[in-house]
Amino acid sequence: MTDKHSIAIIGNRDTILGFKALGVHTFDANTPEEATDLLLKLKSEGGSHAIIFITEDLSEGITKENWKKLSGTALPAIIPVPDSKGSKGSGIRRIGKMVEQAVGSDIFNE
Amino acid sequence: MAILDVKPTRMELLNLKKRVTSAVRGHKLLKDKQDGLMKTFMEIIREAKTLRREVEEILSKAFKNFMQASSMMPPEMLETALLYPSAKTELEVRTKNVMSVHIPYFKIKLEGNILNYGYLQTSAELDMSLSALQDLLPMLVKLAQIEKQAERLAEELETTRRRVNALEHKLIPDLKETVKFISMKLAETERAGIVSVMRVKAMIEAAEEAIED
Repeated sequence: MTDKHSIAIIGNRDTILGFKALGVHTFDANTPEEATDLLLKLKSEGGSHAIIFITEDLSEGITKENWKKLSGTALPAIIPVPDSKGSKGSGIRRIGKMVEQAVGSDIFNE
Repeated sequence: MAILDVKPTRMELLNLKKRVTSAVRGHKLLKDKQDGLMKTFMEIIREAKTLRREVEEILSKAFKNFMQASSMMPPEMLETALLYPSAKTELEVRTKNVMSVHIPYFKIKLEGNILNYGYLQTSAELDMSLSALQDLLPMLVKLAQIEKQAERLAEELETTRRRVNALEHKLIPDLKETVKFISMKLAETERAGIVSVMRVKAMIEAAEEAIED
């Protein structure tokens, strides 16, 4: 099963502008609420975007319920990435949460 | 432990015994599934952790470079330079079935030139930062793939773990308890039957003796 899809990135306008030149679809958002609306819209459009990157400052503000709604299906993959200010560690924390969900406790947590 | 709400009859006993065997078999299958998922999950999660650290470091740098490069140019210039990208990024998506979980595989295809603007008004730093971003993109896609796989597997593992636990600690013990309860009840009724027959027999014999006398 192969399909053609595209990549999207959501974030602060100045940060993500560079990705525009690579042919990645860029969507501006400045608040987590804006980002949530955008994500829900992109998802309901029928999944032409297989991967949606979102900058950490926005992804941290997305509520749990919305996050659950967004990540329930195989596509799209919504992946938080650090912004120009550097990583705040929420990406690694996300992985820790997955381990906790799967195993029952975060066994890799040092 | 609780005894299920059923009538203590032979019929129910047979039904329950059947349910115990199927529950035990289901439990074994689910446990195997859980083990299989866990094995894949652990491999993926280890990779995800190292890759994420790597990507975060490189990406922050790339973003920083890009910000610096773009700050050297007037914003309108930058805007026009990047307004119409000729590069196209396409993703090929395949899904693979691991223990009934569909996990995605991405393959990226980059077409066209990313430096699609006049060289006169743009800085060399912009070129450099853009090509750095381009080099990074496949890594980002790989990270997206691995993290999405991990996410899907984690979800499935959670439900499987819950089911295994429910069977192991609730359903199977309850069923076994009820089976034991019914078989004891049945044995009790049987004994009661024998005793009452014996008593009736004794009464009849006593009556016959009384007549003979």
